[in-house]
Amino acid sequence: VTLSEGARAGIGRELGMLDSLLSLGGLVLLRDSVEWEGRSLLKALVKKSALCGEQVHILGCEVSEEEFREGFDSDINNRLVYHDFFRDPLNWSKTEEALPGGPLGALRAICKRTDPGPVTIALDSLSWLLLHLPCTTLCQALHAVSHQDACPGDSSPVGKVSVLGLLHEELHGPGPVGALSSLAQTEVTLGGTKGQASAHILCRRPRQRPTDQTQWFSILPDFSLDLQEGPSVESQPYSDPHIPPVDPTTHLTFNLHLSKKEREAKDSLILPFQFSSEKQQALLRPRPGQATSHIFYEPDAYDDLDQEDPDDDLDI
Amino acid sequence: MAAVATCGSGAGTTGSAVATASKSNVTSFQRRGPRASGTNDSGPRLVSIAGTRPSVRNGQLLVSTGLPALDQLLGGGLAIGTVLLIEEDKYNIYSPLLFKCFLAEGIVNGHTLLVASATEDPANILQELPAPLLDDNSKKEFDEDVYNHKTPESNIKMKIAWRYQLLPKMEIGPVSSRFGHYYDASKRIPQELIEASNWHGFFLPEKISSTLKVEPCSLTPGYIKLLQFIQNIIYEEGFDGSNPQKKQRNVLRIGIQNLGSPLWGDDICCAENGSNSHSLTKFLYVLRGLLRTSLSACIITMPTHLIQNKTIIARVTNLSDTVIGLESFIGSERETNPLYKDYHGLIHIRQIPRLNNLICDESDVKDLAFKLKRKLFTIERLHLPPDLSDTVSRSSKQDLAESTKRLGPGCGMMAGGKKHLDF
Repeated sequence: VTLSEGARAGIGRELGMLDSLLSLGGLVLLRDSVEWEGRSLLKALVKKSALCGEQVHILGCEVSEEEFREGFDSDINNRLVYHDFFRDPLNWSKTEEALPGGPLGALRAICKRTDPGPVTIALDSLSWLLLHLPCTTLCQALHAVSHQDACPGDSSPVGKVSVLGLLHEELHGPGPVGALSSLAQTEVTLGGTKGQASAHILCRRPRQRPTDQTQWFSILPDFSLDLQEGPSVESQPYSDPHIPPVDPTTHLTFNLHLSKKEREAKDSLILPFQFSSEKQQALLRPRPGQATSHIFYEPDAYDDLDQEDPDDDLDI
Repeated sequence: MAAVATCGSGAGTTGSAVATASKSNVTSFQRRGPRASGTNDSGPRLVSIAGTRPSVRNGQLLVSTGLPALDQLLGGGLAIGTVLLIEEDKYNIYSPLLFKCFLAEGIVNGHTLLVASATEDPANILQELPAPLLDDNSKKEFDEDVYNHKTPESNIKMKIAWRYQLLPKMEIGPVSSRFGHYYDASKRIPQELIEASNWHGFFLPEKISSTLKVEPCSLTPGYIKLLQFIQNIIYEEGFDGSNPQKKQRNVLRIGIQNLGSPLWGDDICCAENGSNSHSLTKFLYVLRGLLRTSLSACIITMPTHLIQNKTIIARVTNLSDTVIGLESFIGSERETNPLYKDYHGLIHIRQIPRLNNLICDESDVKDLAFKLKRKLFTIERLHLPPDLSDTVSRSSKQDLAESTKRLGPGCGMMAGGKKHLDF
């Protein structure tokens, strides 16, 4: 179900987070699972950045080149620079087109390029790299790649680098996933309900609070991104919708509310321990009834008249 | 004995003995060495370095951590020769601020800095340090922020218990201009202060070439390089007393950012039983040895929420001296909880050292919360309401259950992750 153009323009700013994923730069982590696959979203983002005129490099490790290029039209296919590590990952055929250093070597070679301009690198997939390389080496390489534009002192200003990494969450334990998500500038977790896919986008800017948003989308057959309204309004995750909040003051036999007059009277009351000037005057002024007050006392049979002798055994 | 003889020959009473003593200006106790000219300074000669002061409890030399509220909680400051470990919050927003306040305090006091990071260039870190609030402005800014915090509702509440209004929110001792400064988190430190300071930076990607073949050894190569770097600086600049031509003694402040993250080459955040899971603990052990023999203090921030094996966290806590944990409310269910709406997170003081002492300087305030206001980072006591209604008790019991799950180290494999089996 697609929205009309007018409605889409009106809420375009809100839905723009998925569109502007690539403009933030850095590492974008696409976490998918068996139910909600992420390769089509990856291809949609690759197509979008190719159409914007950026250089796009693909490190294909998990699927073959033909399968990855399937669905793209020819001008996009001509713009993609594909590094194939699927056909011969260990470089047994020793052809001259094999890149030295494996996938990480290819990553570093892309970074050492001399021409400025934004670059998008798509890693298909990070899971494959995590299974074949030590996690720390991969993290260090990704950090070096995604922070390259921040280094000063170079002769030519290098354009911004975006790294799109596809990560299959179920293949890894919490350790590597946590380490990669702490490195990532943006994290997109795929999910959805009832046939409608959603992307939960968590954006971490370096000095600011992370912002998150859930975006419903679908991928059209030509791999263009279609943003949609979700099937239901985003519910508050932490309040239980089935139990409405109960007001405990409704059916009481006593009154807990104050009327306006009562509130005024309460506010103007002087409390006993507040020492004001009126109270001081009242204490200092001699009371009129004081001179005429008497104390009437009838001693009891058990009363002790002699305070100093409690046992009454002094015989004086 | 000659002095006693002169006293004794005069008269028998102590009064006249004192009189003769004061007349001749000679006592039986002779001071060794030259006598000080002033009337004060009759005690032993203390090492007086700018920005330090001796602790009133155990005589240790203390430096300020950059946050006077934190100094108060740690018993006056951070002792020289010790490590302050900060457990980072989940999105690493507030722990860099504590890190930078520590370094900024070093610059303001003229201490030497050593900044080590694998994430960003130390020069960039220094550019982003907060600006110090000078003495005449600081009290004004502080009071202004405190005043903004008070709402009219709180004044009404205090009508009956009005004496509690006079109590300060958090007792902060007097801040002298020489120890402990307030910092403005919204402004940058002036450039001339950075240039006037003496600092050394250690940026891991520059020191280690990426194609180096890693041999299996007990310490990660990144840690070895960092330890060598620290040792060289300490030796060359004479912080351990080895360089006798040093005219004025100074303190070295070491700051290490994100220690233990995969960017340092350590895999404790990635795997539960990694190949070199003792690397970090050995690093801390050697670092503590270096610090104890030199005039230096160290701050380390560590992403402990990423460490998979909980026993490593316990060992790291034991190997550090002071450990503080930051827990921010972002992204957790506490963010929407009305109990915590005034604060940005909780501070847990996990460990305070016992230095030359049988007891440690524990403050009696255990539940603390922090808040990053527009300019200042403040630490306040968290007042939870009494356990009256059902909802309050339920959430607090949940919190307790969660905290016991986190702290239980378990045994071996069971220590991994947050879930453990309940028998």
